[in-house]
Amino acid sequence: MFKELDPILHSQLRLAVMSLLISVKEAEFTFIKEKTNATAGNLSVQIQKLKEAGYIEVVKEFKDNYPNTTCKITSKGVLAFEEYVKVLQQYLNVNHK
Amino acid sequence: MENEKTLTEKESFEIITQMINKAKSDYRETGVAALMWGSIVTFCSLVTFINYYLQWQPAKYVWFLTYIAVIPQIIISVRESKKTKYKTYNADAMGGIWISFGIALILLIYFVNTFKAEHNETLFLILYGVPTFATGYTRKFKAMIIGGTACWAFAIANMYIVFPYTMLLTAAAALLAWFIPGLILRRRFLKAKEQHV
Repeated sequence: MFKELDPILHSQLRLAVMSLLISVKEAEFTFIKEKTNATAGNLSVQIQKLKEAGYIEVVKEFKDNYPNTTCKITSKGVLAFEEYVKVLQQYLNVNHK
Repeated sequence: MENEKTLTEKESFEIITQMINKAKSDYRETGVAALMWGSIVTFCSLVTFINYYLQWQPAKYVWFLTYIAVIPQIIISVRESKKTKYKTYNADAMGGIWISFGIALILLIYFVNTFKAEHNETLFLILYGVPTFATGYTRKFKAMIIGGTACWAFAIANMYIVFPYTMLLTAAAALLAWFIPGLILRRRFLKAKEQHV
């Protein structure tokens, strides 16, 4: 019996954000927006959901007099991502057989 | 990128791979610092070599250029860190290695000037090799692995030759360790910049 895929992560944009953040220490909102090709509004909503789940930390500050948002994956987020990949691999292995 | 589309497992896997690759491929060093230090150390070494025969007094202070170069280095570092939209663990580790190198270099300069050790160029080359090789190894950047190894090979060679010829090997080490890798990085950076415009 397979575990269910984490519904927080099993969404195109949220998964893309988490995959980016797992590869870096922290990233600015503009970097994530550029790499995911998402709209600012949609990205803000999805980032908020990831934050509420405790998967990422969001820091808002000023950089050169402009507001700047930085996102960083939390240890809970890393565990959730690893678990998601593990379950995904199980599904993919079954589909291959 | 849309959000509410139902994902298949294969699509999920593709998103993960694609995003990790995008983050990886985004990393670009400007190469300016490597070019600057490569040029300065090569220049100072060659001037020292030539001046052994010319004995021109002001040229004896040529190595002061390396102290002056710390100022543009700080400006470059601050500017580059401001422009960076993300931080990696790798970059942090590299920063630590190069700061350690800077501190070790200051201590070595003090030691060499205090005790007037013989073949001191060997000590410098051994030290130059450490951060260069470590950077090349971590970033999988062949030019710096070769450069770091060259520093150590020239360090051995310098034990058996005398000043001012040791300066020629120091110049060659700076070229291989920093100037050439700097040129490669610069070319890659400009190419990537062109593609983004």
